[in-house]
Amino acid sequence: MSLKLENISKSFGQRQILDGFTLDFKAGSITCLFGPSGCGKTTLLNLIGGITSPDSGQLIGFGEEGISCIFQETRILPWKTVLGNVMFPLLDKMPEDLAYETARKFIRLVGLQEEEMMYPSQLSGGMKQRVSIARAFAFPSKLILMDEAFQNLDNKLKYNILDSFLEIWKEDCRTVIFVTHDIDEAIRLGQHIIFLNHTPLKIVKSVATADETSESINKIANVLYVLNK
Amino acid sequence: MNNSSFRNRIISLIVVLVLITGWELLSISFNSRQILPGPVDTIRSLFGIIEKPAFLSSLGITIFRGLIGFLIAFVFAVLIGIPSGLNSGIEAGFKPILITIRSTPVVAIILLALIWFHVEQVPVFIGFLTMFPILTINITQGIRETDSGLIQMAHLYQIGKPRILRDIYWPSILPFLFSGISTSVGFGWRSVIIGEVLSQPRYGIGSMMQNAQSYLLVSEVIAWTLIAILVGAAFELLIRWVEKRSITWKR
Repeated sequence: MSLKLENISKSFGQRQILDGFTLDFKAGSITCLFGPSGCGKTTLLNLIGGITSPDSGQLIGFGEEGISCIFQETRILPWKTVLGNVMFPLLDKMPEDLAYETARKFIRLVGLQEEEMMYPSQLSGGMKQRVSIARAFAFPSKLILMDEAFQNLDNKLKYNILDSFLEIWKEDCRTVIFVTHDIDEAIRLGQHIIFLNHTPLKIVKSVATADETSESINKIANVLYVLNK
Repeated sequence: MNNSSFRNRIISLIVVLVLITGWELLSISFNSRQILPGPVDTIRSLFGIIEKPAFLSSLGITIFRGLIGFLIAFVFAVLIGIPSGLNSGIEAGFKPILITIRSTPVVAIILLALIWFHVEQVPVFIGFLTMFPILTINITQGIRETDSGLIQMAHLYQIGKPRILRDIYWPSILPFLFSGISTSVGFGWRSVIIGEVLSQPRYGIGSMMQNAQSYLLVSEVIAWTLIAILVGAAFELLIRWVEKRSITWKR
């Protein structure tokens, strides 16, 4: 399966965010869109998720099977328990008992089995983010989108959650596209990092970091150095 | 109960006792139990009323009228409030109607209703008209203040319209709905009684007040008023109790 943005243009009023933007994603791997705030990363993600549609150009291969999302503000339902939240998107896709089993499995994987019957108001910020991760992975999609999902967490908690994210991801190696302006997060999670810069959005450099070798770290350091100049 | 809330209750209690004592003293100094009865006379009348067979019929039918008015108002409020919250064009269409109803004096509506409806229906109609705009506006606001992030999340997860309505919009409007119910029942209860005073159906708290007034039985008028206040307070408690049971997710 190939995931492709082809020649996409998008403007909001006078402001052109994308101008003939083209990008290939590798299916089954984690791609990071890295760039400064306000450069248009989120617009790109919204296009992929189908929240906004492009003025011209083509999106190929996205969204046919449903998309899972992990947002910065978690977007879990305050009136449903942890279990209810993870089951929420599953109920349209599978019978209730299977939804229940699936939800419980992923709740266990994010380490919230003790909190299963708790409401979000009883959870910490990190726990809520775990709920939204469990919901995303439990949902039978081929693609997971994340928008600055870990920005509000302190470093220790963030690494903790990133590690469990990778752990669960290894189960079925879904395509993940995520947006961040946090280089730590990009390196830890991203197997491909696409460095983006200003409007209209341009790819500055694309780096594969799958092996986390010093070579790829060096490449990233070089890109950052050039970007910051 | 902490110290300051205990102290505040004592203060409230003292004020009530002072007012009741003042009322009794005023009534004694006025020297006409007929025109200004004291609390003791009122209590005596209250027990007199409760013993009469007309008491339960009147109390029951007034509550029944209020309930019917409320149910009709509620159904209309849901049917109009939800689409209005989702679509500002629909809201703009209903806004003038709601504003007109809200700013028309209840008495004017009663006078017209007396011409158009049977006396039994007038209090119900008045109750409906008082409660309907309050409920509608609250539901509209609840829909509008629903977190758009949650709606977007639901769309991304391909969740159908009925479940978005039931599992996202409905719980979001509940707090608004209960505050609307509490306000509208407070106003509605009083207007049903006003409607009864003016339309004079056979039974009803308002009818009984009107009767007592025409025979200059002041202590009975006050006793019926007391009954109306107590029932209104009981509704308020009931609404809060149901709200607590319905909104369980808040800490």
